[in-house]
Amino acid sequence: MDRNKIDAECAIGYKRAMSSDRVLIANRGEIALRIMDACRDLGVDYVAVYTAEDEDSLHARIPLSESGGKKAYRISSYRDPNEIFMVADQAGCTAIHPGYGFFSENFRFARRAALRSRPVTFIGPRWEVIRDLGSKINTKRLAKSLGIPVIPGSDAPIYSEIEAEALAKELFFIQREQGIQKPSILVKASAGGGGMGIEEVNQLDAFRRVYRRIQNYAKRQFGDEGVLIEQCLTDYQHLEVQLLCSSHGEVVHFGTRNCTIQSTGRQKRVEIAPGFDPAVCVYSFDAPAILESITAYSVRLARHAGYDSIGTWEWVVTRDGQPFLLEVNTRIQVENGISARIARISGKSGYPNLIREQIRLAFGEHMGFSQEDVSFEGTSIELRIVAEDTKRGFRPWCGTITRFDLPEDEFATVYSHVPRDRPYKIPTEYDPNLALAIIWGDDTNKAKDLARRFISETRIEGEGGITTNLDYLHDRIEDVLVF
Amino acid sequence: MLDRGKRLKEFADRVQYLMDVKGGADWGSLNELLDEIRFIQQSIYDLTEAEVFREIERIEERITFLEIRAADLLTPAEIVNIVRSPQRFTLTDILENVYDSYTELGGMGECNVDPAVLTARATITRRVKNRLYRHQVMVIGHEKGRGEEYRNGGCAKPWGNAKALRYMKVAETEGIPIHFYIFTPGSYPTEDYPGAAQQIARNIYAMARLKVPMVSFISEGGSGGAEAVGLSDMRIMSSRGYYSVISPEGAAAIEGKIREGEKVPRELLEHCAAQLHMTAEDNLRLGTIDRVVTEPPLGARREDYSFFHRLRYEMIRATDEVVLKTKSFRAFRAYALKAQALEKDVPEDFEVLVNWDLTELEVERLLELRSQKYRAMGRGGYVEGKTGGIPVLGKAKELASSGFYELKYGLLRPHQRNVQKVIEDVTGESSVFLRKVTGPVRAAYEFVFPAPEHPVPKRPMEGGEERSVFREEWETYVSPLANEDGTVTCPNAQKYGCLDLWIPDLYGEFSGVCPTCGHHFPLEYHWYLEHLFDKGSVREFNHHIHSANPLAFEGFDARLEKDIKRTGRRSSMITCDARVDGIKLVVSMLFGDFRNGTVGSAEGEKFVRACDRARTTRRPLLAYIHTTGGIRIHEGTLGVTQMPKCTLAVREYIESGGLYIVVYDNNSYAGPVASFLGCSPYQFAIRSSRIGFAGPRVIRETTGQDVPPDYHSAKNALRRGHIQGIWDRREFRKNLLDALMTMGGSNLYYK
Amino acid sequence: MTDINLNDLLRTYRSHPYEDIPVSTPHTGIVTLKAHEGQEVKGPGGPWLNRPGTLLYLLERERNVKKMSAPCGGTVAAVRQDLDSTFVEAGTTVLSIRHHLGKEEIIDRILTHVLFIFPAPQRARYYFPPEVAASIEKAQGKDVTIKSGDESVIMSLMKRDTFLSYDGPSGVIYKVYFSPGAIVEEKAPLLGICPHDKLEYVRKVVQRIRTEWEE
Repeated sequence: MDRNKIDAECAIGYKRAMSSDRVLIANRGEIALRIMDACRDLGVDYVAVYTAEDEDSLHARIPLSESGGKKAYRISSYRDPNEIFMVADQAGCTAIHPGYGFFSENFRFARRAALRSRPVTFIGPRWEVIRDLGSKINTKRLAKSLGIPVIPGSDAPIYSEIEAEALAKELFFIQREQGIQKPSILVKASAGGGGMGIEEVNQLDAFRRVYRRIQNYAKRQFGDEGVLIEQCLTDYQHLEVQLLCSSHGEVVHFGTRNCTIQSTGRQKRVEIAPGFDPAVCVYSFDAPAILESITAYSVRLARHAGYDSIGTWEWVVTRDGQPFLLEVNTRIQVENGISARIARISGKSGYPNLIREQIRLAFGEHMGFSQEDVSFEGTSIELRIVAEDTKRGFRPWCGTITRFDLPEDEFATVYSHVPRDRPYKIPTEYDPNLALAIIWGDDTNKAKDLARRFISETRIEGEGGITTNLDYLHDRIEDVLVF
Repeated sequence: MLDRGKRLKEFADRVQYLMDVKGGADWGSLNELLDEIRFIQQSIYDLTEAEVFREIERIEERITFLEIRAADLLTPAEIVNIVRSPQRFTLTDILENVYDSYTELGGMGECNVDPAVLTARATITRRVKNRLYRHQVMVIGHEKGRGEEYRNGGCAKPWGNAKALRYMKVAETEGIPIHFYIFTPGSYPTEDYPGAAQQIARNIYAMARLKVPMVSFISEGGSGGAEAVGLSDMRIMSSRGYYSVISPEGAAAIEGKIREGEKVPRELLEHCAAQLHMTAEDNLRLGTIDRVVTEPPLGARREDYSFFHRLRYEMIRATDEVVLKTKSFRAFRAYALKAQALEKDVPEDFEVLVNWDLTELEVERLLELRSQKYRAMGRGGYVEGKTGGIPVLGKAKELASSGFYELKYGLLRPHQRNVQKVIEDVTGESSVFLRKVTGPVRAAYEFVFPAPEHPVPKRPMEGGEERSVFREEWETYVSPLANEDGTVTCPNAQKYGCLDLWIPDLYGEFSGVCPTCGHHFPLEYHWYLEHLFDKGSVREFNHHIHSANPLAFEGFDARLEKDIKRTGRRSSMITCDARVDGIKLVVSMLFGDFRNGTVGSAEGEKFVRACDRARTTRRPLLAYIHTTGGIRIHEGTLGVTQMPKCTLAVREYIESGGLYIVVYDNNSYAGPVASFLGCSPYQFAIRSSRIGFAGPRVIRETTGQDVPPDYHSAKNALRRGHIQGIWDRREFRKNLLDALMTMGGSNLYYK
Repeated sequence: MTDINLNDLLRTYRSHPYEDIPVSTPHTGIVTLKAHEGQEVKGPGGPWLNRPGTLLYLLERERNVKKMSAPCGGTVAAVRQDLDSTFVEAGTTVLSIRHHLGKEEIIDRILTHVLFIFPAPQRARYYFPPEVAASIEKAQGKDVTIKSGDESVIMSLMKRDTFLSYDGPSGVIYKVYFSPGAIVEEKAPLLGICPHDKLEYVRKVVQRIRTEWEE
């Protein structure tokens, strides 16, 4: 595989400094394996955890350490912080890498790691940052104060009907002003989330009724009748800005990504970097300028918040080229690989590994390079291969995989926890993600062709006929970057 | 022959009675004596008449000798035995012998709402100058029965007390005096509707201002059960009765830390009975009763007609005195002096006829006198230190002269409606109305999501175990419990799958609430003082009233001292002025760290003064019960009388238009719940708290039945109608404000 | 649902009237053993099963020492002495309890042959739909009727809830074999249904076991 193409030499210099550290990887699946790789590159020792359900996963089956010590510990749940800290203490870990999901954006976990009597380095931002940027409302308020565009609407829960109605009126007015054909706003419970307690309003006349309904719902469900109101966007692209920051105030961005292609459950399926490509698509706005502005805005917010780890700034860009900041993901993301894949750092060969950079910076290292040193080359596409039925609401498939052959190409990097030498039963406790494939091409069209080729060469078989999203991915590659 | 058989039977009863009194046959070789009697009973036809006669003479002499000796050295525990003897007189005996005729109400015998409580309409007759006069009275009391199981030994069930209340109201309607007879070891500890504690509270609340003369007679006065029919204008007690805060067995179990099921040693029992000061003499000295009716040295039994004769005289005299006091003090004095002269022997005739009907004005005086009487109870039970002491909660602001408030409210009140506007302008308190109810919600929101300030990019400092890890983060009060790096398991973990909680998270950010299931872990009372009220608005008053050891209960001084040292406080009650979103209120708070939140004379006095302060300053009154374990047993009946005393004060407050809200937390049991707390129309509980009359162990020991683990839970209390709602600790402030705004109608002071 | 040879079944259970129940750590921690080989232990007791069983071992994690007590009565066996005072992973078997089956347990086991069993289609977590849970709670031991096509159980798999329709003869939910929210293995029984016309028969079977089984 082409992992040797990753800039390996930059790691060597840090080996000595971190040789006494040990990282506990508090996650599962491919991200756990990728963190292991990064640790190995840095010369940092690591320990993994797994649950009984994951016993057959590759991340649970890592060999003993050189000294014969235990490297993987069975715990009751990935979601129980007590298990993580117990193992961290037992295994003498000095740091915890949360991966994504689970504890990655849990400020209480990070706070506990920092404040407990035996502190452990949380590989991620300071807990205060996670808390402050973890709140969408708070982020919105902060962004507004810095002149960063956010979706028009309330930046604090509204409790009074008069206040709410005034705002709704204003939002409809703005949209009409902008020439939007079917203006609409969203009314949602501020304490809610995950699509609960959200309603769309298309007419001002209907607002009061919906407002009352949501308010009652919120009071009943969450005990807090606060309601948020914002403009409803319908036609947009979902973009991301990848940032890397150190605890010494250094901020470097790694360009943009486009993650518009998502499952019905708002899970990303195909991601591409960079975020727009005017060479293959026609935009009604100056795409490079938009990419530049959202990157600059993201850096501004990161600097202001004292951001000190890897992070992703999520944006939406409307058809007419209006960017709005959605939220900040204070963690490493699944699709970090495509940003890294198109990046080049001057003076270093190959492309960087952002997980490795994240770990290194968490230990207090300096960045070692600046924005001027970062350049971009080509296009990278990530495919998320999942055992699901895309025609039936992305319903997960569970069963046993008997054949798992992914093409080994120079242009593709594959991360998977699914073993290939034996049948593998998909655990029912977790999402049925099988693999990530990161494809790189000189330009967007080439990358799209390679991705399609990759899919057609992939062979996955399972007992009783497996259902995967390969066909869906193949079809959707054509839709990337286009409104 | 027949006569001799009867006499022998009587001897056997007397010996049996001695055994009962002395708590066994060890004393005075009573067993041998009983054997001798039985022998003669069996062989009465084998012996000659002279022999039998001689034996009878000898035995009688022996019994009489023993009886005199027994009476000479009567210990408090033996008095308890007298009271509990099946040969002691019961209420039915009194009804038959003291009253002329009676009709039982609310059931007969076993066909009854509660056979342990007897209510009857009765007539009592006095002779004045050879003419007979009949008085109508309502008789309410406990019937211990003659060993019938259904009588439950005089343990009133809640519905029994409800029946008593019903006929008190009937008496009030008819305007006839009530004679209460207390023969109870305690109330039956069930929470079934209406609930032991709640019903007793209702009864006391009603009696506090019942508009008829009431006289109570105590033979066996066991704590809360006694109070349910005990509040009266004149309390008399039989000389061999007991009146106590708790049964000596109960006290011994607590004091000796006796494990469940183990037998209490006799010495400990004797010791506790003596320490509790439960005899008639003790109670007269403590001022918890007004007069003693003399019984024979070993107590009156069922057929002691001379005692009944005396009791009739005493009940009439007591009622006369109560009535006369309301009419004219001079008449009462003249009457009382004459009566005193006749104390030794009961006269056959009364000098005068006193009409027991009261005019409206006299009723008012009656209630006023009752109030004074109860307010004076327990005055000697606490220490009033210097007012200049340093209060812990901040500078004590002296209460502005009540004249100001009289002017502000008293004068304006009659024309309130017309001058509403004026009041609002004058007081400036009207701003309360302009502020939205959502105020605290917003405040809470700001608290959770503080607008981020320019953070200093630095790694977090090392967490030490010594200081609070959160103090810097949140400037609000954080429980010191949070300063420990460790985890705890939620008691509902099995049921709801709650993960172990990190202690700093739990007691810091989560306010002691399990985020998974909402279980409330106990928090210290300071937390509430800081989170419930507006910042800096808490001003303590009456800090100088200290708990004491009025009965010189052995070993209690040291324990009191220990709690004082540990808590820095001198009673289990904190009374303070405070504000909630600008609304001024008076707060009384019982907290568990000091003697488990028990109520004694000091606490009672502080509560009464808080009621009065709320009344004069015209503010809502909040009783927040962090924990209460009941009445402080070490103060004996001085503690028990705090029940009627506090209820009386709070009723006067409520009737003058005040809003009284009770909020229970953690554990609230027994006396206080069964009186001045349970009488509130608005009672709420903090989630995960327990409210009840008696704890599970006491229930097991008295009823022999086990109760489910959630028997006393707030949820069940709500289901039974004992409380009106359950509040989340984190929303205590918001809920309290809501309650103040919704329940505080326009007739409330603060509006 | 078939007629069964009760005598055979009873004989089988009589020849081996116990079950070995492994006791495993629910999570990681340091173990301190408190029970010894051959010790007789008691399961949870009291009318509400609120009194915990005999203490078997302590498990300390993050300064929280938990008392692990016996889930059922029986004799302690196969104690892993080597684990005393050491760190263990989650799901480590510390000892096992040889549990003598009581009368009610025998009845439960034999009933799985008598009742119509609605099994778990997948290894997953199972819950009752709120309405079913409410009616079961309300019934308090009385009969809750179920018929084919009723949504009887929620299967929670990969964060998704699927309503399972009951498929079988209509009857009374006689026995619930799972505790809500716990993982149930594939094909393990979820519900035991007794058709109305068979109730009498089932009661007879129960009665017979009651009289014939000696503890």
